[in-house]
Amino acid sequence: MTVPTVQHTEGKKDVTFRVFRFNPQVDSKPYFDDYTIPVEKGITVLRSLNYIKEHIDGSVSFRAFCQAGICGSCGMRVNGLSQLACTTQVWDVLAKSREPGIIKVEPLRNLPLIKDLIVDMDPLVDKMKHYSNWVDSTMPEAEMGKKEFLISEAEFLRYDKATDCILCASCVSECSILRANKDYVSPAVLLKSYRMSVDSRDSLHEQRLAELVKDHGVWDCTHCYRCQESCVKSIPIMDAIHGIREDAIESRGMKDTSGSKHAEAFMIDIEKKGKLVEATLPIRTNGVIWTLQNLLPMAVKMIMKRRTPPPPPLVKSAKGIKIFREMFREMTEHVKQDHKSHKN
Amino acid sequence: MKPFDIVIVGGGGAGLYAAMEAMKTNPALNIAVLSKVYPNRSHTSAAQGGANAALANKAKDDTVEMHIFDTIKGSDYLADQDAVDVLCSEAPKIIRELENIGTPWSRLEDNTIAQRPFGGAGRPRCCYCSDKTGHTILQTLYEQCLKKGVQFFNEYFALNLSVSGSRSNGLIAMNMKSGKVEAFPAKTVIFATGGYAKMYWNRSSNAAGNTGDGQAIAYRAGIPMKDMEFVQFHPTGLRKSGLLVTEGARGEGGYLLNKDGERFMARYAPEKMELGPRDLVSRSLETEILEGRGFDSPAGKYLHLDLTHLGADLIKSRLPQIREMSMNFEGVDPIEEPIPVRPTAHYSMGGIDTDNQTRTVMDGIYAAGECGCVSVHGANRLGGNSLLDILVFGRIAGRTAAEEAGKFTPGTISEAEIAGQWDEIRSGMHASGHYERYGELREELGQTLALNVGIFREASLLKKGIADIAELKERAKKLRIFDTSDVFNTNLMQVLELKNMLDLAETVAAGAHARQESRGSHTRIDFPVRDDANWHKHTLATQVKGKVTLGEKPVTMGRYELQERTY
Ligand SMILES: Cc1cc2nc3c(=O)[nH]c(=O)nc-3n(C[C@H](O)[C@H](O)[C@H](O)COP(=O)(O)OP(=O)(O)OC[C@H]3O[C@@H](n4cnc5c(N)ncnc54)[C@H](O)[C@@H]3O)c2cc1C
Ligand code: SF4
Ligand code: SF4
Ligand code: FES
Repeated sequence: MTVPTVQHTEGKKDVTFRVFRFNPQVDSKPYFDDYTIPVEKGITVLRSLNYIKEHIDGSVSFRAFCQAGICGSCGMRVNGLSQLACTTQVWDVLAKSREPGIIKVEPLRNLPLIKDLIVDMDPLVDKMKHYSNWVDSTMPEAEMGKKEFLISEAEFLRYDKATDCILCASCVSECSILRANKDYVSPAVLLKSYRMSVDSRDSLHEQRLAELVKDHGVWDCTHCYRCQESCVKSIPIMDAIHGIREDAIESRGMKDTSGSKHAEAFMIDIEKKGKLVEATLPIRTNGVIWTLQNLLPMAVKMIMKRRTPPPPPLVKSAKGIKIFREMFREMTEHVKQDHKSHKN
Repeated sequence: MKPFDIVIVGGGGAGLYAAMEAMKTNPALNIAVLSKVYPNRSHTSAAQGGANAALANKAKDDTVEMHIFDTIKGSDYLADQDAVDVLCSEAPKIIRELENIGTPWSRLEDNTIAQRPFGGAGRPRCCYCSDKTGHTILQTLYEQCLKKGVQFFNEYFALNLSVSGSRSNGLIAMNMKSGKVEAFPAKTVIFATGGYAKMYWNRSSNAAGNTGDGQAIAYRAGIPMKDMEFVQFHPTGLRKSGLLVTEGARGEGGYLLNKDGERFMARYAPEKMELGPRDLVSRSLETEILEGRGFDSPAGKYLHLDLTHLGADLIKSRLPQIREMSMNFEGVDPIEEPIPVRPTAHYSMGGIDTDNQTRTVMDGIYAAGECGCVSVHGANRLGGNSLLDILVFGRIAGRTAAEEAGKFTPGTISEAEIAGQWDEIRSGMHASGHYERYGELREELGQTLALNVGIFREASLLKKGIADIAELKERAKKLRIFDTSDVFNTNLMQVLELKNMLDLAETVAAGAHARQESRGSHTRIDFPVRDDANWHKHTLATQVKGKVTLGEKPVTMGRYELQERTY
């Protein structure tokens, strides 16, 4: 569906929004509709969608509420990248568009599709429940309201950034492991779990951690950094993931779960090659069959898109034991620095 | 279907606190929380500044009594003083309680909850978490509700109460995911659906869904609305979108400047300057603009909010959300340039008339939060008192409903009534011949309100506003719904929201027209002074045979006598 081409005026561009459509009541499979509208500088993707809904096709369905990047309703994929429609400038996207003048708008991935750009958030809420994403206060209910916990600025800063999360699910949509395993804990839930666990008011630390180190938990993360790169609030999610792993190794030791297998896998990698070989990790942790069933199809797809770490033979041995030692220490003690070197 | 003991409509701060407290009061009760958005998306998340409580962490000499006085004075003496007593005395306890269950408050050097100055308050008593206070409170409450196993009906849109005579049988709502209209027979219903300031649309800081649904439902059920004419304009909305730049920015030391670079607040509030109460600061900005001292732009006239002298560090650490919004929606980095601002419709003081226990006139129906009117804000709400209001009265609503649920036996909601609602809401899908478009009517409503029922009001303008709204209501009968599907029909939801706004706009304009005085946020050019002899009272707007009918209710006084309100 296209409206008659609008004449170009100063400061306006005709932009075609290629919108993912699917109405489960009538459509057997999804398709795309094109809507071409004039867009001036400073207009967001959400405002464009609103315009399309109000002036061209009232049936285009998407969520939006605050329109200010606060509520997390409007997460969607714009030209392939999960983000908030209400804070994404059309002209910025256009500048990077592979197909000139066209912006593709699709629903978030890794959550069940409901209609058009709307996905079901319930699985995420269920995971928040499963991993006890709340503070279970050490203070008895009867005592509450009488006095404050005294909390240092330093402690506050430990979870300050994590509490920025607006549950928009952009990171969930970008997570590489979730594509293969829908039961995987999810980056946002890891982030929230971490936020709770570093809160001195919380009493559930051990219990939460015990759940996090099980299958589908923190050790399944492949360190691909996709979640962090796509976080709409620029939250260092990997700090949280590393934080939980560090915590697990420290307080639970190395041998008790598949997680420790994972940790060992890390170390053997480092030992052998002097370098982290992420592509082989899932096999060692989960066994060959699980990997073949769950990860290989995805890995192939990802390699095609050049998203995955190179397969093992391409990883050359690092020179010298010194580097190895450094990396080893980073992995087990100062995991956060690992994050920095990744980012560089 | 077995009736629910409590159905809570709304998953914002008020609704969630009510749910938590109701479960605490009686864990055996069958409680449902309905929300048209996932609770964590509710507009409470937008509150940046903070919540007031006389904790005396920052100013050791702060007291509950001072908080009470500031609130009453701020309300221009229209608040009920017994209700304000409850609000302010409960404040320290409820803020600590929130702290105890995990709210990440910012901290002072002595590790206590941080507090900062806020408009209209004599002491720095606004508790905050950088500039995401509402967001973190809402997160915490949602987390705690998940922990307690509260039964959520997410993305359910409340349509109407089912009423037999003067009794409620419960609620009728649409499940957005399936499109089905469902019955929620209930002994008690708590409305906590938030404010109605979005009726001003582009000149409003509110979320798209702050359309006053709960108020409109109650209004149609014959429950009176109180003080609807009082709509607070926040002084500093972003010029293009109406989105809010929080008072926190001025609390941290920001300046308001006109095009001559003058800190014009010196003219209007020489002592408090930028930290004067909202209504006064908004009128000052509007006056600067009307008198030609504003900047011009295609998006309208505006003024400057200057933070540049605060420095990058402070802006980054204390006001990161403001900076982000200013860059996203105005293309301005407040570290380098002043932010373009103008007043924006922000908060609805009016709402469903309740007593101090949040009861309405209808048995078993309660209201709390921005959708209710106790009244603690009177003619003007102080910044930081609304989050407090939703917490304190959300909790009272939960407790009261839990205690009283046993008293009521609801009737049944018939299949025929459900089918009738289904047909009615979907009638616009089959419009033939001439039809109206949602976007146009909504735009016209926002415009007539901003123009005729805005910051400065006057009889002939208000008459025009009333006539416009009546005409829009008539045209709304022909609103076309273009999406004819059942599953997640957002087009249908928009149309229903618009109809709710139109119902309420009528009460706002009628109240504003009737009230022949200037008080708090309500400024009549033709009646420029407060008239205590004739107007020291609440207005009540009730729907009788489809028409708005005005009544009144006395203001409860207490320790504080009427005084002139100066700052
Ligand atoms: C930008 C901004 C900044 C603010 N800053 C501050 C501040 O710093 N300090 C302060 O004290 N106050 C502030 N306020 C005011 C304060 O945030 C609100 O008054 C308060 O959060 C309202 O809370 P609530 O629980 O009553 O409603 P909301 O949080 O608005 O929640 C309403 C709920 O009702 C649900 N609902 C609505 N209609 C329906 C329906 N038809 N069916 C089902 N569910 C429905 C919604 O889904 C939502 O869950 C601010 C307001 C704005 C707009
Ligand atoms: S780093 Fe881990 S959690 Fe983040 S996207 Fe990659 S696999 Fe998912
Ligand atoms: S972590 Fe970031 S991307 Fe993920 S849900 Fe939270 S805010 Fe969104
Ligand atoms: S609409 Fe709220 S984040 Fe975009």
